[in-house]
Amino acid sequence: MTTLTRRTALKGAAASLALPALATPSEALAQAATPPPRATSRGPDQPLFGAVTWTLDNGLRVVLAENRRAPVAAHYLFVAAGSGEDPAGKSGIAHYLEHMMFKGSPNVPSGAFSRVVAREGGQDNAFTSRDMTAYFQTVEASRLPLMMRLEADRLAAPLMPPDEYEAERSVVLEERRQVVESNPRSRFREDFDATMWGPQHWRGRPIIGWENEIRAITRQDMIDFHARWYAPANCTLVVAGDVREADLRRWAEEFYGPVPARPALTRDRAAPPEAAGEARLIRRDAGVREPSFLRAFAAPSATWGDRSLHDALDVLAHLLGGGTGSRIHKALVEEGLAVGAGASYSGQVLGVGSFFLYATPRPGVSTDRIEQALNAVLSELLDSGATEAELRRSIRQETAGALLALDGLGAAPRMLGGALSIGLPLDAVEYWPQRLASVTLDQVNAAARQVLGTPGANMAGWLLPGDA
Amino acid sequence: MSETQFGVTLPARRGFSVPIQVIEAGGVTAWLVEDHSVPVVSVAWSWAGGQALEPEGREGLAGMAASLLTEGAGDLRATAFSDALSDEGIGLGFSARADVFEGSFRTLTDALPQAVALARLAMTAPRLDEDAVARVRARALLAARQQTESPGAVARRAFWETAFPRSSLGRAATPETINTITTGDIRAALDAQIHRGGVQVVAAGALDAAGLRALLGELFSALPAGTPPALTPPGPMEMFGKVLRPMPGPQSHMVFGQDALPPTDPDWEASQVAIRILAGGGFSSRLMRTIREERGLTYGIGAGLSVAFGQALVQGVVSTENARASEVWRLVREGWTDMAQAGPTEEELRDAVAFLAGSLPLQFTDSRRTASLLLGLRQTGRAPEWLAGRPARLAALTRADVARAGRRFLRANTLALAVAGQPLGL
Repeated sequence: MTTLTRRTALKGAAASLALPALATPSEALAQAATPPPRATSRGPDQPLFGAVTWTLDNGLRVVLAENRRAPVAAHYLFVAAGSGEDPAGKSGIAHYLEHMMFKGSPNVPSGAFSRVVAREGGQDNAFTSRDMTAYFQTVEASRLPLMMRLEADRLAAPLMPPDEYEAERSVVLEERRQVVESNPRSRFREDFDATMWGPQHWRGRPIIGWENEIRAITRQDMIDFHARWYAPANCTLVVAGDVREADLRRWAEEFYGPVPARPALTRDRAAPPEAAGEARLIRRDAGVREPSFLRAFAAPSATWGDRSLHDALDVLAHLLGGGTGSRIHKALVEEGLAVGAGASYSGQVLGVGSFFLYATPRPGVSTDRIEQALNAVLSELLDSGATEAELRRSIRQETAGALLALDGLGAAPRMLGGALSIGLPLDAVEYWPQRLASVTLDQVNAAARQVLGTPGANMAGWLLPGDA
Repeated sequence: MSETQFGVTLPARRGFSVPIQVIEAGGVTAWLVEDHSVPVVSVAWSWAGGQALEPEGREGLAGMAASLLTEGAGDLRATAFSDALSDEGIGLGFSARADVFEGSFRTLTDALPQAVALARLAMTAPRLDEDAVARVRARALLAARQQTESPGAVARRAFWETAFPRSSLGRAATPETINTITTGDIRAALDAQIHRGGVQVVAAGALDAAGLRALLGELFSALPAGTPPALTPPGPMEMFGKVLRPMPGPQSHMVFGQDALPPTDPDWEASQVAIRILAGGGFSSRLMRTIREERGLTYGIGAGLSVAFGQALVQGVVSTENARASEVWRLVREGWTDMAQAGPTEEELRDAVAFLAGSLPLQFTDSRRTASLLLGLRQTGRAPEWLAGRPARLAALTRADVARAGRRFLRANTLALAVAGQPLGL
């Protein structure tokens, strides 16, 4: 899931404080342990988190994933609206609104939210993706009711003070300059998406918005967006940590119950274009030292197209290009053609999903050679199919660490809230390892043929050193 | 005693403490925070060394050596080794930092024996196959070249090389140094680094004292005796004023810093409070308020203390539109001066102490985070009791303490600045 975090800049700052070079241990591990998962220690019928859920009268869905390791609670409010809901010509509203939500509500002065959380020893932040906007805090468990009080206040009625509006627009524009415009690889990705899907298609617009459109957003646009999308029935509250269900039921009624009900909306995402805007995109950028290749294919997702292929596409991405031992790694990295190469699948999204192939050539290896090698891998897969051994290996490795999601309070809310916000059932998360384990070879090969064999919208792109 | 905020009655805090057990086996000491609520174990260990042991002209050696430990060991070539980890969901990794070399793993308890066996194999019998060395070298070359694409990284590099021209802190891996490194160099670096002596170990999660004792024997007993060579501290940084790396782009990326009080100084925690109030506290810091919230000059500004070789440095970063760089720099230095001259307000002190003491439980929700916290404490030379005493020490700090600490290291006139971009008026 592509997201923009309110404090990306600060995370960057913190990372850069480490003395020169290389990761802190946790970062090193994060790379080595890249999530997913298995579920051996629990029985085959047991849910991953054992979360419980209910719905308030105003339509707010509440989810609790109890975890008593430390006296701490994580409190996440997911709004089922992201940059995909930005109106035409006004890209960036969902994200700009996320910033303005920190500027006060009837009972909480502007800027007080984060100060109160910090004074209570907590951490807070927010992020915007194409499909959702989420606000979250982690606090000592006894401070959870206070978080619920503050969050419900701004859900009901953010102030968006007119006199703080322009300074925050400048912050968003600086964020755009820092995150996109100062980084040649981000510039390329933005260009790639816009070219493939269309600069005004929901999938082709940047989450942060186009600069001229950010400049055009009015306060009324944001008030309208909030009124339309921030309805309780369009939100999911997820709490993880040392919290009892009876307490959470009481607090949810007390704090979120009074937020007036408003109609829930269904989201209707435009279909992808029949074909990409261009077949190929070649960009030269003087700021780039190393070439890189990206190819994207429109693909079924958990909510769009042939949904039965969603899990198979996950397995396909792993066996095709999920790191050491995968087909692409063998053919490109082990053969000395590429420094890195692989495949990935973004399928837990609303609307069309994406399947990616990527490679960074070794110095001296031509772009043609890289594409030939990747095409040879694809042809071989499509001609002869994946093998049973590959299937079993991929399922094993993708699910082996599933229970590691219990180590910490971030994974449960993000996985549960992320799924519910795009209309998937709780069980889509609770039983994902079992579901993945039931993927068959026929499904994987069918998924490969549909997405890679007779592709719909797809585009290949090179970012190359040199002058534009 | 309860209090009411925004109409919500809050119970008194429960108080939070985590017992740290100290375990010894075969000459190796480990700290343990035991918790059986989740079937996961994280173990981390480190030696003094890392990049500090790189001979001049071999920058990048320690990082390549660390990467190669998980690229094949014993009878397992790279793919087989990777499969052995991935089949069990084990995350095992090694890394080299400025003054330490670290290893760590996280695993489900089911797979703990396998995790220990593979970590031991990596340390005692790394293969260093020719093709693996070539792959790791290619990755290091790419990373070194991509560093020069990002203005933030260029500014950071400029800061360190100008601040520490005669220390390993000031040297960085380049394509030239990486291409010079031989497999023999890597072998020698690992031989110098990895010993039974001088290792500091921590563990967190579903593991008891007896289990950890057995694990220590298995993990470290086969390592060669002795310790890594002693390190030479770099000494104070050069107060270099300003250094500019011109780069095209819309923003100026600024890295600023100066020497701070070392962790052994009695004012260490007071200095942490001063820097949190000034620049380290996210949205509540003074610089975030004046530069982002009030003026919209940046997406974010932050500064904090970092420690290596027992020395501390305060360092911050900020990016802003080129035309506004001089205004931002003026505001940073004004913030520095105000804190040094007047110290914090009573409210700022109370809020900062409340955060630093109150956020302690948040460090114990995730076994890797817990292990990382414990290892950091050990690397800084703290006693196990240090953590438990921290809330009381923080609560005892006065405005005068924080003001004094701030005066001792916040000096606007010698604050050094490295900039990448096309700043106007600096």
